[in-house]
Amino acid sequence: MIRIHVTSVPVDNQNKALKFYTEKLGFIKKTEVPLGEHKWLTVVSPNEQNGVELLLEPMGFEPARVYQKALKDAGIPYTSFMVADLNKEYERLIGTGVKFSMQPREMGPVKMAILDDTCGNNIQLIQML
Amino acid sequence: MNDSVTKTTKTYFEIQLDRLFKEHYLPEHYYVQVRQSKSFMEKYLSDKIELEKIASTAFMSRFHYTRIFKKVYGLSPRKYLRDLRLNKGKELLRQGLCISQVCFDVGYDSLPTFYNAFKKATGYSPKEYQTLNKSNLE
Repeated sequence: MIRIHVTSVPVDNQNKALKFYTEKLGFIKKTEVPLGEHKWLTVVSPNEQNGVELLLEPMGFEPARVYQKALKDAGIPYTSFMVADLNKEYERLIGTGVKFSMQPREMGPVKMAILDDTCGNNIQLIQML
Repeated sequence: MNDSVTKTTKTYFEIQLDRLFKEHYLPEHYYVQVRQSKSFMEKYLSDKIELEKIASTAFMSRFHYTRIFKKVYGLSPRKYLRDLRLNKGKELLRQGLCISQVCFDVGYDSLPTFYNAFKKATGYSPKEYQTLNKSNLE
């Protein structure tokens, strides 16, 4: 059966990204394989350590940088993560210095907020209501 | 506004959200009613609950409820309840509970039905899933 094994976010600096995604967001490092000047670097959710891996992908392709910046400037999230309690997570992240471009707001069946991952991306946090 | 929110004007994304919300969303009371039924499913997922009963917690007929639920969450209430049960099952398996216990705790009354639903949803049998996740924690 086919399944989603890995998805990715482009990052401007892999070490900085690993620090943000583990220390601030709470993911766990799964693999770190050196690949020339970069590495194959993935993180997973603590609750799904055998689940989908998030690849912190080095931004080595110039047109991708343009695309990433356009999304960032328009406030469009590059990807989305789910949390159980958005308000609680929002307060926790603000306490650690994370910047949000959109505070939690309800929209029909979901509550959402958007944060800056400091690596060039807007990241959406979602809570299903 | 909180200091950690870095801008004062709306982004393109937020403007699009506002437009979508205005043009396509259902009246607020539908969301409230459907959320009630969702909470009911979460609370009683280990019991045998009929769709009729779930719909009644949203104050809707079964047919109307199914239609609204699907419009709000993108899947039928039956599928939602199945996913809810299987996610809870995954959580209990990760905690190391025995498979038959997990099966009954998440509202299945037969092991083969639980096994098939779990395998179909995750690609793993409950035993394989438990082994994989236990070894991950080591």
